[in-house]
Amino acid sequence: MKRLHRFFQTPEAIAGALILALLVIMALAAPLLFPGDPQAIAGPALLSPFQHWSLPLGTDRLGRDVLAELFHGARTSLAVGLTAAAAALLVGAVVGTMAGFAGGLIDEVLMRITDAFQTVPSFLLALAFVSIVGPSLGVVIAAIALGAWTGPARVARAEVLSIRERDYVAGARVIGMHPLEIAFREVLPNALPPVLALSSVIVAAAILTEAALSFLGLGDPNRVTWGGMIAEGRTVLRTAPFLSIVPGIALVLTVLGVYLAGEGVVESTAVRRSLS
Amino acid sequence: MSGLTISRRGLLAGSALLLASTALPAIGRAQTPKKGGRLIVAADSEPRNLNPAIVASNDVFFISSKVVETLAEASFDGKDGLQPRLARSWEGAADGRSVTFKLRDGVKWHDGKPFTSADVAFSALQVWKPLQNLGRTVFKDLEAVDTPDELTAVFKFAKPTPFQLIRNALPALSSVVPKHIYEVGKIEDNPANNAPVGTGPFKFAEYKAGQYYRLVRNDAYWGKDEPYLDEIVYQVLPDRTSAAAALEAEEIQLAAFSAVPLADLDRISKVPGLKVITKGYEGLTYQLVVEINHRRKELADLKVRQAIAHAIDKDFVVKTIFLGYAATATGPVPKHDPQFYTADVPTYPFDVAKANELLDEAGYKRADDGKRFALKLLPAPYFNETKQFGDYLRQALAAIGIDAQIVNNDSAAHMKAVYTDHAFDLAVGPPVFRGDPAISTTILVQSGIPDGVPFSNQGGYKNPELDALIAKASETLDTAARTELYKEFQKKVAADLPLINVAEWSFISVARDTVGNIANNPRWAVSNWADTYLAG
Repeated sequence: MKRLHRFFQTPEAIAGALILALLVIMALAAPLLFPGDPQAIAGPALLSPFQHWSLPLGTDRLGRDVLAELFHGARTSLAVGLTAAAAALLVGAVVGTMAGFAGGLIDEVLMRITDAFQTVPSFLLALAFVSIVGPSLGVVIAAIALGAWTGPARVARAEVLSIRERDYVAGARVIGMHPLEIAFREVLPNALPPVLALSSVIVAAAILTEAALSFLGLGDPNRVTWGGMIAEGRTVLRTAPFLSIVPGIALVLTVLGVYLAGEGVVESTAVRRSLS
Repeated sequence: MSGLTISRRGLLAGSALLLASTALPAIGRAQTPKKGGRLIVAADSEPRNLNPAIVASNDVFFISSKVVETLAEASFDGKDGLQPRLARSWEGAADGRSVTFKLRDGVKWHDGKPFTSADVAFSALQVWKPLQNLGRTVFKDLEAVDTPDELTAVFKFAKPTPFQLIRNALPALSSVVPKHIYEVGKIEDNPANNAPVGTGPFKFAEYKAGQYYRLVRNDAYWGKDEPYLDEIVYQVLPDRTSAAAALEAEEIQLAAFSAVPLADLDRISKVPGLKVITKGYEGLTYQLVVEINHRRKELADLKVRQAIAHAIDKDFVVKTIFLGYAATATGPVPKHDPQFYTADVPTYPFDVAKANELLDEAGYKRADDGKRFALKLLPAPYFNETKQFGDYLRQALAAIGIDAQIVNNDSAAHMKAVYTDHAFDLAVGPPVFRGDPAISTTILVQSGIPDGVPFSNQGGYKNPELDALIAKASETLDTAARTELYKEFQKKVAADLPLINVAEWSFISVARDTVGNIANNPRWAVSNWADTYLAG
């Protein structure tokens, strides 16, 4: 409770939390407010925003409701952002813990693999992966996670290196626990907080990467995505700029919200640490 | 698509009037075209092989038709829709076994060597027939080319070949390349494929990858006073949205092949100094077609195919996706084709209730989630419009309970998936109608075509009756009888729906007012531009 209170002390964190809450509500409410297929043709093509009460944000080149697409796009963005980040954190934490705890050859091998992934720009990696395997939601999530797990792996390893020398780890060894059990039940949980602090950055990057992939036509074509909406709108940028601007603003706000909320979390935990 | 300007919304009609009024002084100038100047044109693709005798496709013609000439070019008012180029006249024998070309005198290749009938014989036998994408079909029975003298070439066919077909094939298929350059080494690897040598009004000067192609005036061109331009530069602008900006900034003077997106035309037609031209593409009709994989048991059922045809609102497609710059299609021959088109075919008006009924009758009832069955839909990535139509088709099919999942591929992967691997249920394709159904249209429904041939029947469709009709038409010499057979062909295709023709569209040019003699033949963008000029 105290932590929550501290979290809400900075205006940035409040703003971030509000935006995120709005986004989550949008994503959850999408199937209720806009039941049926968001890509269904709802009206005349290229209707400007605020012209018609039932299509408040207008329609795109095929006459699809931009507002419905925006809401359903929020689902895709959130789903991709959260799942990709979770996957990246999971893989990173496991790899980092293994490397840090085992040391020696295993450490070398795992860290060199991490280096290899880190030297390739994560976006290029995602691009190559999606174009080879073919675009679908699962593939896009995997592609993004593929380039994002290295950061958590390095942080986890550094943390594990210091934790494994602690007395309680030595104690666990003495009572004869299996090394893997020590690594994942004693060490990993204690190494997690700094790794989780990375999550806001990863979620924000994942949402952006998904949008960029969709923009390049490598998103799941059977789902509405904000990046795909921007790409669609680009061909009529001069005549109907709102088609690109609306999802663009949504994207900026989301990334900002995730970032601000993440900062808030980091600040509040930092305060707690310095206090203790 | 000359009729389209008239049927366009009032807005464009207004701007067309405006254009006509501003064009009046330009018509005055047209009598005395100005010499000199450099025409800068937008190019949206960079073909590697520029030999039009091997790769008979529009992106190659766009550049190399100015360098390498054909025997004849399409014409609005010439006899049989042709005007002479390297051939002065052509005559078919009554038995359909030979065609005699009389060639133009005093024509020189760009390297100074004289052009003779030997070049024509070489091109036909060594290049068009064995190597050219389209010539392989049209010239398959070409046996020999006799050259009784330097200016006569007699094509001899093993089987009777309709003269009408050969005539219709001349503008696109008869690019003549120099024998003395191509007889050394392998034709496919000849360096002249990347720097073509021809007889045309312009010589190939240079190509900078990713930047431009440059052609310069051929001073020894056979046409009197032609060409007018000193240089043509093709500025490579792969991003389609940048062509409009480049035109407005006067960086380029012409953007052909709809390089300016359709959605931008209304706006750009109002920019002073620019004109929007819908003419000059009558001989290059693209067809928006739903390709069907008949290996799927649902799609092998005629009722399902009819239901899909009824589910597509063709007027919506023309109005919304093509913004009016297209026409609805009734069958495999485009409406404006002067020789073969017939409107007397079964049609499928937009009727969702009927489509649902047909699917129920076919035994594909809706499941509890409202879906009947799922399909894989592959829209071709070549045009914005084919991709958008893919999105539309998905919605149209959803309305009749068919769950279509779109699979996006790049060009190479799409080609492989559809035409080699047959990994599709429905595909959206843009085949081209080239003035005669036998050139590139019958191949879309004919059976027995080997895997991997692009823009052919790879959907496993087999109809012996239709095959027999195509075979009969290909050896019918009498023009009237042949035309009748192709009308029959259109009826059978529309009735049995091996594929669904949705719309036919052509391209739009946007040019600065100063560019003269634009769109004066039905294949203008891919003709030789000898009479194009820059005023002012």
